[in-house]
Amino acid sequence: MPSSVCIRSISHLVRDRAAHTSIASRCLFAAPQSAGFSTSAARYALPSKKKTGTVAAPKRGVKSLNVKKGRKGVQVDTAKRPAQGERRALRKRIVLSNNNALEVPYLTDLEKTSALSKKNQGQVKGLPEEVVDSLRAVEAFKPTQGWSLFRRPATLIRKETVQLAALLKVAEGHVNSTEQAVEGREDGEAVDGAKEVAEVTAEEAVAVAVAEEGPKKTIRRVIVGEKMSGKSSLLLQGLALAFVRGWVVINLPDAQDIVNAHTAYAPLPESEPTQYTQDIYTANLLSQILKANKGFFSNTTPITTQPELGVPLPANTTLEQLVNIGINNPDISWPVFVALWAELTLPGRPPIMLGIDGLSHIMRNSEYFSADVKPIHAHDLTLIRHFIDHLSGKSSLPNGGMVLAAISKSNSPTSAALDFSISVAEARQARSGNLPTWNLYTKVDQRVMDVLKDIEVIKVGGLSKAEARALIEYYAASGMLRAKVDEPFVTEKWSLAGMGNVGELERATVRLRV
Amino acid sequence: MPRGELPRCLRRAVDSLSTLPRPQCDQTIRQARRSLQPSTSRCLLSTTTSPSSSLVNNNSSNSSFERFTAAPEIRFETQDDTNKGGQGGKINLRTLRIVPASPSYFSAKPTFTDDFINLTALLRTVATLPVVTPAEAPKVAWRTVDQYRIMTNEPVKTQRFHKMLHVLRRLNCIHPTLMPKQVSDAMLRYKKAAQPGDIKPPPGIIDQAGRAKGVGRRKTSSAVAWIVEGEGEVLINGKSLAQFFGRLHDRESAMWALKATQRLDKYNVWALVTGGGVTGQAEALTLAVAKALLVHEPALKPALRRAGCITRDPRKVERKKPGHVKARKMPTWVKR
Repeated sequence: MPSSVCIRSISHLVRDRAAHTSIASRCLFAAPQSAGFSTSAARYALPSKKKTGTVAAPKRGVKSLNVKKGRKGVQVDTAKRPAQGERRALRKRIVLSNNNALEVPYLTDLEKTSALSKKNQGQVKGLPEEVVDSLRAVEAFKPTQGWSLFRRPATLIRKETVQLAALLKVAEGHVNSTEQAVEGREDGEAVDGAKEVAEVTAEEAVAVAVAEEGPKKTIRRVIVGEKMSGKSSLLLQGLALAFVRGWVVINLPDAQDIVNAHTAYAPLPESEPTQYTQDIYTANLLSQILKANKGFFSNTTPITTQPELGVPLPANTTLEQLVNIGINNPDISWPVFVALWAELTLPGRPPIMLGIDGLSHIMRNSEYFSADVKPIHAHDLTLIRHFIDHLSGKSSLPNGGMVLAAISKSNSPTSAALDFSISVAEARQARSGNLPTWNLYTKVDQRVMDVLKDIEVIKVGGLSKAEARALIEYYAASGMLRAKVDEPFVTEKWSLAGMGNVGELERATVRLRV
Repeated sequence: MPRGELPRCLRRAVDSLSTLPRPQCDQTIRQARRSLQPSTSRCLLSTTTSPSSSLVNNNSSNSSFERFTAAPEIRFETQDDTNKGGQGGKINLRTLRIVPASPSYFSAKPTFTDDFINLTALLRTVATLPVVTPAEAPKVAWRTVDQYRIMTNEPVKTQRFHKMLHVLRRLNCIHPTLMPKQVSDAMLRYKKAAQPGDIKPPPGIIDQAGRAKGVGRRKTSSAVAWIVEGEGEVLINGKSLAQFFGRLHDRESAMWALKATQRLDKYNVWALVTGGGVTGQAEALTLAVAKALLVHEPALKPALRRAGCITRDPRKVERKKPGHVKARKMPTWVKR
C-alpha cells in the first residue's frame, strides 16, 4: 500500500506547476495546490463546522450530564513497555536460593552410595551442586515450587521417594539390593499401618517379579496424585536420584510445549503413517541433554555406529561432537537424536532416565495440522512417539532405566482415556476384584488406550505426620517459619493442609504468613 | 366485658332463684369458669354478700380481694312470707335487682380493670418476699398488647397494659424458690403459650461407632458433620479439606471449633455440605462441627461460645424491592 502512495506522489511531483512553469498554464487537469507529499493543507484547513440544530432531549434513563474532567487531553501512556520476552522470562525465572534464609546445620547432601537407601525416609536432603546444575539444565525446577524460599535446594525424602529409589535399584539390576529394599519396605509397612498395604504390596510384587527376571530392567511408572501433592517434585527427585547415580537423564520438562504448535515442525520423510519432527525443539533438547549429563559426555569413547546424517562425520567423533552437530544444525537434529539414542542403548552404557511432566497434554491431538488440515495426533510427533514407545513398553531400555511420567492436576486437558487407564491401574494395584469399565457413551481415543494398557502408577498421597514434622522443622531451621514446632502445631498444619498435602503444607506454613 | 357475660349473669341470677341449694349451683359455675381462665380470680359474688357463705371464705383465702359492699341480699323467705297464698311461691321478677359479677362492670374495660386490681392486690400481699434482680429472674415471654386485647376483647390502652406488665415483672422477680403457687398461677394468664426454653432439643448422642452428629447453617448453606475421635483427618463431601476449600482462610474457619479448643488432633471429621458459596459452606461447617463437638464434650460450650461457634449468624441476602434496583438502591435520578 505505501508503495502505491509513493508512486502516485511522485507522479504529482512531476506535474507540479512550480517545477514546470511552461506547461503550467496549459495544464487542463485540476492540479493539486500543494506538493503531493505535503499534508499541511489538510491539517491547517479550517475545521468543518459542527452540525448544529436542535438536539433531541436525551431519552429517559440516558445520562446526559457529563461532568468528567480531562476529556480533551487524553493521557498517552508513556511508560516503558517491557521488552519482548521479558515478561515471559520473569514468569519462568527460577530462583534457587534465598540469601536471607538461614543455613540449616544438619542438612546433608544426597550421595551416590547412600542416595537409594531406605534410611533416608523422613529426612530432608540437600541436592549436590552439580545435580542442581543438571536439574536446572533439564528444567526440572518449576517456578511454582518454593525453591526460592530457602538457602539452597533440598528435598524431603518421603515414602514415595523411597519407593522410587527402590525401583531405581531394580532398574540398575541390583538383585540383592532389590530384595533388601522389598524387605525394608515390609518393615516400613508394619510401622506405617495397614492403609498402604495394598498399594505397596502391588509395588512389591512387581519388584520381586522384576528381580527374578533379569539384572537390568525398564521400569515404567506414571506419577499420579492430588493437586499440589508433589508429583512434579517426585519427578524431580527421581531425576535427582538418577543424576546422583550417574544415569543419563533425558527430560521433557513440559509436554505442553511440544504439542501446542509453538515450535516448527516438518514431516519426517519416508515415514508411514506420516510422522513429524520438531527440529528446533529437538536441537534444544539435545543441548539440554548435553548440559545436564556433562559427566557422561565428557568421558565417552568415540561413537561406534555410523549414522547417516547427511553431513560428513570426522573420524573418531565423540558423542559430544555428535550432539553438537545436532545442536548446530537443527535440520538434522532428529537424526542426531536417533543416532545418540542408538549410542546410548549400546551395551555397557549407563541406565537411562526418561521423564516427562504434564502427561495428559500428549494423550490427545496436538495443535499441529497436517498438510490436508487434519489435526495431528500427539503420538505422531517423533519425540513423543519415542517417549511413548518406552512408556508403553513397546521398546525397552537394554541398559536398564526408568520411564517416569507425571500428570498435572492444574494444567491438564481432559483425557478420558488417561483418566480411565489410571483408575484401572490403581484398581489393579489395590488388588480390587472389580476393575472400572469404560463408559461406552464416551468417545475413546484408541491409541491412548493401547499405549496405557498395562501402565503402573505411583500414587502420591499426603505426608505422614512424621514426614510433615521433619519438613516443618526444616522450615523452622531455615528461619522461614517462626513458631514453636510441637505436636499440636504440626498436627494443625497437617490437618489444614488436607491430611498432609505437601504443597498446601508449604503454603500454610511458610508462604502465607499472617 | 366479653360477649355473653351479661346474659350469663342474668341466667345465673334466674337460676339462683329457681334452683336450690344455691351455693352448689354457684360452685359449679365457678368451677367451669375457673377451668376456662385458670388464674382469673375475679370476684364472682353475684348477689351473695354474706360472710357465712363458705364459698366466699374460700375465695378470699385464695386471693385476698378488697371487700366491697354490694346490694343487700334478697330475702326470699320474707318475700315468700309476704306473698304467701297470693302468688304461690312465684317470684316477683320486678323486685329482683341484677347485680353484675364484677364491681368493674360499669367501667369501660371491666376485665382489664379486674386483672389490674387483682394483680396489684396480689403484689401487695407478696411484696415482702425476697426478690432477685430482673436480670436473674426467669425469662418470660409475656403476651403482647394485641394478644391481650384479643383475649379480653377490650380496647386496652398500651400504656395501661405496660403498667400492668410492670406489676407482672415485679411479681416475676420474687425469688424463684419462694415463689408462691398463687402468684405463679396468676401470672400464667399473662404468659404466652410458648415460653423461651420450652422446646429443648433432644440431647445429642454418640452412636455405637463413636460418631456424634451436628448440623449448622449459614447464609444459604447447610452442613452436617459427624465427628469421631481420631487424629485430625477431615473429609468434606468426600474430598479432603485442601481439595474442598482453596482458601486457607476457609479451611481455618471450617475447622475453627476444633482449632479454637485445641482439639484438631483429637477428632476426625466427616461432613456433608450443600448450598450457598464457599464462605457460607465453611461457616456452616463451623457450626456443625461445634455442635458435634459439644456432644462429645459438653463442657466446651463456654469456650466455643467465646470462639463464636455457637450462635448462628442470621444475616441473609436482603430481598429486592419493587421500585428499587437492588434491595435498597434506587434508580439514578434523571432530570427529564
